[in-house]
Amino acid sequence: MKNRLKVLRADRDWTQADLADRLRVTRQTINAIEKGKYDPSLPLAFKIAALFGLPIEEIFSADTD
Amino acid sequence: MGDANTETSLQAGLKKSTLHLFLATGAWVGSTALMSFGPNAFWDFDTTLTFLAIAVNLITGGFMLFSFFRHLNNMDELQRQTHLEAMALTLGITMVLTVIYGALPQAKVLVGAQPANVLFVIGISYILSVITLWLRRTSA
Repeated sequence: MKNRLKVLRADRDWTQADLADRLRVTRQTINAIEKGKYDPSLPLAFKIAALFGLPIEEIFSADTD
Repeated sequence: MGDANTETSLQAGLKKSTLHLFLATGAWVGSTALMSFGPNAFWDFDTTLTFLAIAVNLITGGFMLFSFFRHLNNMDELQRQTHLEAMALTLGITMVLTVIYGALPQAKVLVGAQPANVLFVIGISYILSVITLWLRRTSA
């Protein structure tokens, strides 16, 4: 699964640690999601979408797109 | 400010559950030693005291299990998934190696196989699995 997390985070000038704080996860989790090494759970994906004020599909997309 | 508190609560929760797990595991190890060596060393094979030691071991074992479960729930989702996958790997590795280990004495290849050695396989497999899976996902 691809995602725009890194771009969205950079737009807000947040570090990975800042985003991790806001989502109550570890910085390593943010890093793994950004690098595509880990797909977040649905609750975390919703939390990310709510934090950025975007629909999930504007942040995450299938690899086959 | 609020964000810093959020991370602190995640880390604080983990620290607290780690301490509980450490204490519960220590109590279980201690009661296991008492159950194993107590009959010979302390109460001259008194059956009542031996059953009491077994009961204490079961209770501390239950606490350890509960503490581990709570510790798992305090992790963030990547940590939790890493540990759950490590457990799955450990289960598979232990099953395969235990079957081989159990067959060796019957084949007269190995003498004096100890069932307790399986615990070492479990521990080593689990630690290596957690490290490998974590590094695979978090390394640059």
